[in-house]
Amino acid sequence: MSVLPADGAGPASAGTDVPDGDVLVRIEHVTKHFPVRTGGLIRRTVGQVQAVDDVSLVIPRGKTLGLVGETGSGKSTLARCVAGLIPVTGGRVTFDGRDITNLSRRAMRPFRRDIQMIFQDPYSSLNPRRRVGAIIGDPFAIHKTATGNERKRQVQELMERVGLNPEHYNRFPAEFSGGQRQRIGVARALALRPKLIICDEPVSALDVSIQAQVLNLLTDLQKDYGLTYLFIAHDLEVVSHVSDSVAVMYLGRIGEVGPEGAVYGSPRHPYTAALLSAAPAADPDTAASRQRIILTGDVPSPIDPPSGCRFHPRCPKAQPLCAEQEPQLEAKPGDVETHQTACHFPVVPGEDLAAAAAGRSEVA
Amino acid sequence: MTSISEIEFEAKGADAAQDSSARVEGRSQWQLTWRRLRSDKVAIGAMIVVAVMVVLAIAAPVFVAITHHPPNIAYPNTGENVAGNPVGPGTNGFWLGTDGTGRDLFIRILYGARISLFVGVVTTAIGTVAGVSIGLMAGYFGGIIDTVLARFTDAVLAFPYIVLALALAVVLGPSLSVIIGVISFFAWAGIARIVRGQTLSIKEKEYIEAARSLGAGPFRIMFSDILPNLLAPVLVLATLYIPQAVVFEATLSYLGLGIQPPTASWGNILADAQNFYQTSWWYVVFPALALLITTLAFNLLGDGIRDAMDPRTERVLAGRRRRRRRRAQVAATSGGSPDFPDSARQATQG
Repeated sequence: MSVLPADGAGPASAGTDVPDGDVLVRIEHVTKHFPVRTGGLIRRTVGQVQAVDDVSLVIPRGKTLGLVGETGSGKSTLARCVAGLIPVTGGRVTFDGRDITNLSRRAMRPFRRDIQMIFQDPYSSLNPRRRVGAIIGDPFAIHKTATGNERKRQVQELMERVGLNPEHYNRFPAEFSGGQRQRIGVARALALRPKLIICDEPVSALDVSIQAQVLNLLTDLQKDYGLTYLFIAHDLEVVSHVSDSVAVMYLGRIGEVGPEGAVYGSPRHPYTAALLSAAPAADPDTAASRQRIILTGDVPSPIDPPSGCRFHPRCPKAQPLCAEQEPQLEAKPGDVETHQTACHFPVVPGEDLAAAAAGRSEVA
Repeated sequence: MTSISEIEFEAKGADAAQDSSARVEGRSQWQLTWRRLRSDKVAIGAMIVVAVMVVLAIAAPVFVAITHHPPNIAYPNTGENVAGNPVGPGTNGFWLGTDGTGRDLFIRILYGARISLFVGVVTTAIGTVAGVSIGLMAGYFGGIIDTVLARFTDAVLAFPYIVLALALAVVLGPSLSVIIGVISFFAWAGIARIVRGQTLSIKEKEYIEAARSLGAGPFRIMFSDILPNLLAPVLVLATLYIPQAVVFEATLSYLGLGIQPPTASWGNILADAQNFYQTSWWYVVFPALALLITTLAFNLLGDGIRDAMDPRTERVLAGRRRRRRRRAQVAATSGGSPDFPDSARQATQG
C-alpha cells in the first residue's frame, strides 16, 4: 500500500483509498512539452518534445517511490517539474495538500525548504570555486535561518551526520572523492530538514562499493528524519534496494506502477519484463538460466511518439489494437489494486516473452 | 536483488582509507596560481617593474623634497642653457635634465606616472565592475535583456572610440573626470562580452540548478555562484586593460584633450617634447621610455597571470623541462649529437 495513481488516472483509479493526510506529493496528469524551434531570425515552433505526457503518481509520506526508465524516458524532467525548477505544460502538482504548480520564484520559496534535490553528477553539482562549508551553508544563508558561528556549527553537524570529517569545512570540492562529494550533496539537501528529497540518479556516477554507502546513508536518513524520497535511477537493483514502490516510465508515460515486490516479482507490462530480464544478475547460477527478452529497434523520438501504446512498435506482444487505442493505467486481474499497468495484453505470469521477442525479430 | 548489502562491509573499509589519504592539505586555486606565477621569471620581472613604478609614483613628493624641484616650478636660470633650451641629464641637479620651460623632467615624469597609473587603475576598476555586471546579467537572464545588452556591447566595441573621446572632450571640456569617464566607457565592453560567454556556459552547470532548487535568487546565483568561476579570466582581462587605459590617457593628453598643463602627464610631456627633439633627446626619450616600460610590464604581467591561471601550462612547462633534462642526459652519456641520436646511429650503420 504505498503508491497509487492519482484520482482520475483511469477507470480503475484507486487513489481514493489513501487518506489525504498520508499523501505528501500528488502528481496529476502532469505534462511537459519542450517546443522545438527553427534557428534563424524568426523562430517558428515546428514541434514539441513530449518529455512527460499525462503522468499521475502519488508519493505517500515517509515512503520511497522509485522511478525507473531508460535515458530519455522523462524521469529527470518529471523530477524537475515536481521540484518546481521548470514550469509544467499541463497538470497539477500538490505538495502537502497545497497546489505548487507553476508558482513564481517568490511564492515557491517557502516550499523550497521542504523540497530538496540530490543531483546525479557529484562533480558538476558542486561549485568548484566554493568551499564545502559555503556550499553546505548555502541553504542557511538563502533562507536566513542561521548566521556566523551558528551556521558553521550546523554545517559541521551535517557533515558529521553524512559521514564527512567536520574539519574539512574549508576544503574545496576538488579535494574530495566522488562518494564524499555525493555526501556533500546529501548534506546540502538535508540542511533545511526537508520533507521530500528528490534523488535524481544519486548513485549512477559512483563506484558500486560507494553506491552502497550512499544508499545506506539515504536509508538511514529516511529512518531518522522521516524523509520521503522520489528516487530516480536506471539501475533496477538500486531502485529495488531503496524503494517501497516503483513506477516504470517509457517515453514520457508511466507503463507500470506498483509495490516494489509486485512489480519486480510479476511484471505485467512487457517493457517492465524486458527491463528486468536485461538487468545483470549478481548470482551466476540464476544468470545462466535466465531468458533475456531482446527488444528490437530504438526508442522512438519523443517529438513524434507512436500512436496508441507508445511501446507498441517494439513490443513482442503488440496487436493491431495497441497502435489504435491508448491503454489506461489500471489494475490487471489477479493483481493488488495498487499494482497498475497500462497495457492491453499484460504479461501473464510464466509466459515466455523471450520466445515471442525472438520470433518478432526474425520477422523484422 | 539485495546483493548491494553484501559489499557494504568492504565499502566501509574503503571509506576509512580515503579519509586518511585525504589528509594532505589542499591548496586553493590562488595558491596554485601564485606557485606557477613565481616560477615565471618574465612575469616576476614585470611585477617588480610595476611595483617600482607604483612606489616611485607614490613617493614623488619625497623626490621633490630631495631635489627641491616641485613639478610645476620653472627654473629659467639653472634649468635652461644660454640659448633657452633644456639642460641635459645630470646638469645642475636635474637628474634627467629639464623640459622646455626649465622644469625638472624627472619630477614631472614621476607626477605623470601618478596620473597615468591612477587613470589606468580607476578606469579599469570601473570598467571591470560594469563589464562583469552587464555580462552576468546578459548571460544569465537571456532573452530580451541579453539581446539589448549584447547588441549595446557590440555597438560600443564597434565605435571609433578616439573620435567619440575627442568629441566628448571638446564638448565637456578636458578634465580628469571626463577622461576617466570616457576611458571607463570603452573599458567594460570587452570584459562584458567575455563574461557573457562564460556565464552562458556556467549557468547550465548542475550546481546552478542546485542553487535554484535551494531557492537562491538570480542575483545571489550570479554573484556568489557564477562570479567566483569568472575571476580568473576577469583578472587577466583587467591586468591587460590597464596598459591600454594608460596609453589611451597618454593619447588624449598628447592631443591636448586630456590632462591640461601645467599638470604633468606623459602624454602632454611628449606633446611638448616634440618641439625640442632635435636639441634635447632626453626630453622625448625619458617620458616615452616610462610609458613603454609601464605598458610592457603590465602586458607581460597579464600574460604571466593568464599562463599561471591555466592549469595546463604547468604541464607544458614541466614537459619541456623534462625533455630538456632527458636531452642533457643523452648528450652526457653518448657524447654525440643529442638532438638526433637515431639519425646518427643510422649514419654510422650505413
